[in-house]
Formats: sequence, C-alpha cells, structure tokens
Amino acid sequence: MAPAAATAAQPTPPSLSLPPSQFARLQPHAYLLAHLSPPASSNQPSIRANGRAPSQFRVTSANTGSLTHTNGSAVVRLGDTTAVCGVRAEILHTEDIASWSVSRPPPASSSTPANKRRKLTDPTAKPSEKSDGNNKEDADESHIQDFNLLVPNLSLSTGCAPGFIPGAPPSALAQSLSHQILSLLHSTRLVRAEDLRIWYQPPNLGPEELERHNESEQMDVDAPQGDAGAEKNREIKAFWVLYIDVMIVSLAGNPFDAAWAAVLAALRDTRLPRAWWDVDNGMVVCSDAVSEARKLSLQGLPVSSSFGVFEADAASGWRAEVIPDAEEERALDDSSRKGNQRRWILADPDGYEEGLSQERVCVVVDKEQGGKGKTVVVKLEKNGGWAVDAKELKALVDISAQRWEDIKQILEQC
Amino acid sequence: MTDRRRINGPPSGTRPAVFASSLNSASDIATGRPQRQRQPNELRKIFLKTGLIPSASGSAYLEYEPSASLAAARSSPKSLIPPSSALKLACTVHGPKPLPRSATFSPNLVLTTHIKYAPFAARKRKGHIRDASERDLGVHLETALRGVIVAERWPKSGLDITITILEAEDDRWWGDAPDSHDAPWGMMNVLAGCITAASAAISDARIDCLDLIAGGVAAIVADESEDGEAKPKLMLDTDPAEHKAILSACVVAYMPSRDEITEIWLKGDSSKALLGPDDKRSGHEALLDGAVDAARGAHSVLAEAVRESAERFAGLAPGGGATQ
Repeated sequence: MAPAAATAAQPTPPSLSLPPSQFARLQPHAYLLAHLSPPASSNQPSIRANGRAPSQFRVTSANTGSLTHTNGSAVVRLGDTTAVCGVRAEILHTEDIASWSVSRPPPASSSTPANKRRKLTDPTAKPSEKSDGNNKEDADESHIQDFNLLVPNLSLSTGCAPGFIPGAPPSALAQSLSHQILSLLHSTRLVRAEDLRIWYQPPNLGPEELERHNESEQMDVDAPQGDAGAEKNREIKAFWVLYIDVMIVSLAGNPFDAAWAAVLAALRDTRLPRAWWDVDNGMVVCSDAVSEARKLSLQGLPVSSSFGVFEADAASGWRAEVIPDAEEERALDDSSRKGNQRRWILADPDGYEEGLSQERVCVVVDKEQGGKGKTVVVKLEKNGGWAVDAKELKALVDISAQRWEDIKQILEQC
Repeated sequence: MTDRRRINGPPSGTRPAVFASSLNSASDIATGRPQRQRQPNELRKIFLKTGLIPSASGSAYLEYEPSASLAAARSSPKSLIPPSSALKLACTVHGPKPLPRSATFSPNLVLTTHIKYAPFAARKRKGHIRDASERDLGVHLETALRGVIVAERWPKSGLDITITILEAEDDRWWGDAPDSHDAPWGMMNVLAGCITAASAAISDARIDCLDLIAGGVAAIVADESEDGEAKPKLMLDTDPAEHKAILSACVVAYMPSRDEITEIWLKGDSSKALLGPDDKRSGHEALLDGAVDAARGAHSVLAEAVRESAERFAGLAPGGGATQ
C-alpha cells in the first residue's frame, strides 16, 4: 500500500497534498487509474488500489457445519465479503400439493389410456438409452421447479453495508441475487430431484388387504401381481424442500460469488435424515440416526467468477461524433494500447472497484468428471458495456477455470 | 398473502421433519436431556471479536461456548437432533450519520436498534419479516444502550445498530412439551448477548459512552435432585435446554464502573428461591445480584475485546503506524 500511495500523492504539490485515503474518496476514478497506469518514470507495476493483480481474486476461505439448527451450513469469506448460508430441509406431503393428483405421471400399474400410450412408446425408447436418460432428467427438473423444492433467499438487510436499511423489504439487489441463485440452481440441476423424494413402498399385500388399499387409493385391482408389480406400486409420498437462506453478513463487493460459494458449500454439507411414510400416523417420519442420514449427491460443481471492467475514459466512445462500431473501436484500441492501456478487466471487484465499473461479467464454469474433463460454461452474463469482446470472454473463461480449481480445493478442505 | 419480493416455498407450506424418536414415549428420551456441567456460578466462555465487518463503522461478533453436550454431539455425532445450541450473533453499527432532511430536529443522537433472527437460527424456522418478539428484543436493547451513550454529543444524528442472530438459544429442551413454567427463556440469553455485543460494536465505532455495558442472565431453576425433590436454586448464565423447570429469570444491562443498571427484565416467580440459611435477601434481589455477577463476568471479556479494537485503531491511525 505504501509505495502505491506515494505515486498517488506525487503529482500534487505539497501544499495541497492529501492523504491517500482522502484522495481515494474525492477522486476514486483517478485514484484507481493512477494505480493501474503508474507514470512510466516511476517504474512501478500496474496494480489495483487494493494491491491485487488484475486477474487476482481475493483470499477465500470456507467453513462448513458450524450452525446447529441447520441440515447444512457454510460460512464463506471472500476478502471482506462474508456470506453465511444455512440449508433447512422441511417436508412437503404430496397430498398438500394441489396439482399433484393431476400432474403426476400415472402409476405404471393403472390402465389409464395415457399410461397405455406410454407403455407402447416405452419399448421404442428402450434401445436408445440416452434419450431415456434425458426423459428422466426432464422429469427430475420439473419436480424441483414445479413444486418449488429449492427456496433460496438472500438477505442484505443485516447491516452489511450502510446503504441497506434493516427491516425494509429486500432491496432490488437482494431480490435479483436471490433470483440469480434460484435460476442457477435450476439450470445447473445441481440438486437431484431423486435425493428429495420420499418414496413409499406398500407391503406385498394379500388380496383382502389389497382391496382395502384399493378403496382408499383408487388403485386398479388388475395391477400386475408379483415383484415387478410391487416395484411399480412405489409412489412418492413426500418431497424434501430445501430452504437455502443466505445472510450477507459483511458486504465489500461481489456478493454473488460469495453467496453462490456459500450455497455450494452448504449444499455439500447438507445431510437429509432417512425418512419414510408412516402408515399408522399418516405422516412422514424421519430417523435421527446420523449413520442413516445421507448427503446430497450434487451434480457437478459450478463455480462462479465475477469481473468488472474499469475504463480509463469510459465516455470517449460516446463523445465521438460518430459512435465507432466494434471493429473500429478495436482498431482504435490497439493503436492507443501501444502507449498505455485504456481498460482493465478486474477479477473479483471489491466494493470500491464495483462503484467504478459499469460493465460486469459473470462466468459460471464447471469441469466434467471432477476436474479431469473439459471446462463447461454453465452461465455467462455480461452487461453494461461493450468492452469485453469474444476474445476477452475466452480469456475470462480460462481464468474462471483456474478459479474453479482453487474453489474446489477450498471446498474439499472444509 | 404471499411475499412477492422473496422466493416463496410451496404454496401449501411445508412441515418440519418429525423424528421417530420424539414420537416414542417420554421415558425413552428422558435420559437424553443435556446436563449442566458447570458450577452454579460458572459462566460459559464468550468469544467476542470486533471489527470483522469493515464496511460498518463498528462491528462485533459474539459466540458462546457450546455446552458440554453439544460439543460432544459435534465431535461424535450420533443423533441429528442437536441437544442444545449456542448463541452466535453479529452486530454492526452504522453512524453517527446525519438524519434525513425530513426528520424532525433532535438535539440528541437518535438510536435505532434492530434485531433479526436468521431463518435458520432457531429450532423452528423463523420468518423473513421481524415478528413481535424480535421487535420486543430491539426495544429492550435500545433501553439498555440509551443510558450508556452520551447522546448530547451528536445532535441531529442517527445511529443504527443492527444485530443478526445466526444461532439462538433454545427456549427449552426439545424433548419437553411446553408446560406451566414455559416462557421464551432463550430470548433472555439472546438479549444479554446482544447487549454485550452491541457495547463492543459501539466502542469499535468510537462513540462516546459512559462505560462499557455488559449483559448478564441469572435464573432460579427447580431441577429435580436424586431424591425426586425440586429445590429452586439460583444459577448464573443458564442454558434453558439443560434445565427442566426455570421458575424465573432476569437479564440486566450493567455498567460496573458506575455500578448502574440501565435495563432489567425479570420474568417468572422469584419468591420460591431457596437461598442460604443466613441469606436475608428476597428472591428477586438474589436474582438481580446473580445477573449483575454474570454481567461482571461478561464485562471482563468485553474489556479485552475493546482493548484489541483500540489497539487496531491505534495501528491504523496516522502516526500510530510508525511505532509498530
């Protein structure tokens, strides 16, 4: 910090000199620019005001399982931004779902026309295993989405930053972050619907009991008997609903990365108790034995990395009489870049840098086969400007892939 | 009426998990009640650290030491039902800042306190919107702090104190049905923690105070001894999960150097306490003295945390850095 501060204070004459902290407040843009493009004479490297290199992330740490009343919890610190995530599992009985009897796929044992058709198409689908798998996955996702089985909410009204009034309804930022987490959970299919289902396998009934069963459940008596039939009698009695609550305890920029890492770590930590349908009580009952509880089997490990673009002269494009198109802009850029750089892509912007960058990029990547396979871009969001083009996006994806390795290591250690 | 600004769960609502062991007869689980391992006048250890939230003017994080049963359950987990819980909370102070133009003139600092439980803080899921008990806690905290802050030094300014409770104390042991002695006893421990943490955060924000104020809890508990007889006894810093019946409890906010109490919250019937034979105090006097003793204990932790905060500040201040 000290040498950087010296460069900031150098150009001003002694009588008007300001301490760096005040210069940073009064002229934030010039302050960051002075750090990123120091005068050639000073022989200083281009470095951000917080001492990081442009593509360097803040020190990240994670800690899981410290909250008592949760099924899974995590605290993630990303520099000075802290997110606490707690996952609570509650039970949604299918009898409470208004549309359940209509929307559920008819049990294979019944002889409704729809099911007959399904049965007819089944053999054709069998040879191609892949399409079958896809169908199954579609059903998976629709259960999670249709019945709102994942309920993420992010709260900023914890006094995390001066701008957010506690007690007020969630700000636009909090709402948008909650929604981004939800849509990312849905689109990555991180949580498998199968983990959230609570099945009930009716016992292999004698004929008279089957009749009694039939009265209550409207089952067809012509159900195929035997083991295969019993297997197909299995029905979903309830779902686990995961309430994923993220409290941003301290906010110093880049809340999404911190919140998503906390959600990821908490879900990895989540244990669901063994649950079964208790016929006598007519409710789902769980076992409290830790040995019987199981962890969620998450699909993949999507890691999010955010970037901000800092421009030396953001309005130059707008001030031009003819707004340059992308090609001209790049040519202009290259020619001017010989002298000095005009824009910087800053990884993991802190609160100060966030206030100075219009353009944001968020990349969520995953790697196949636990890091050995190729990198998959799960989500790519870019808004606020035109500085980042296809070439730079590719570089950002590479940085994000490196970041994926770091986060994986951090999550596996905690 | 659904909350349109949040993501709501299934419209029909969900039910918390019911564990098979809690459906069994009470005799099976009666053995599982956590036992108090501390002496009646021994407090739990408090972890208190200031300055963890740099975006705030002042901040503090407070955590109680987990009880022996909880620590055992964490190190070798057998049951998914936690035996008890330990308080964890984060406190931030923003200000002093100018009041909005629309506010009426105030010659003093306007103090706003805000306490919110995280949805996962308690055994039962909490809502996102503050309920009456949280507002009540906020009012108690404000009363406790108003007597400490030298409010005349900041006319026309406001001070926001926000506390997020990440893990609350239980009101009773989970295996107990609510009974006649039942009251939200856990709230009293939470309030004591809030007072101590808020005091640390206010000092961290360098707001002038008369003294550091600490919260303390004492309770009269009637635990059954071996001969099956319940003898009401005075205990300090009670964890409600460890006691079968708490007859009454008291929280105080106490300033040791002035020997002044700014807030008392006493609940329950304190007349049944069996004190020593030569003790002439009435039940509630004993309870208050106990709570003050507990607050003195918390004060020593608080003083240490504030000293750390001051050292950090001295290191940051211009000129102070040169000495290091």
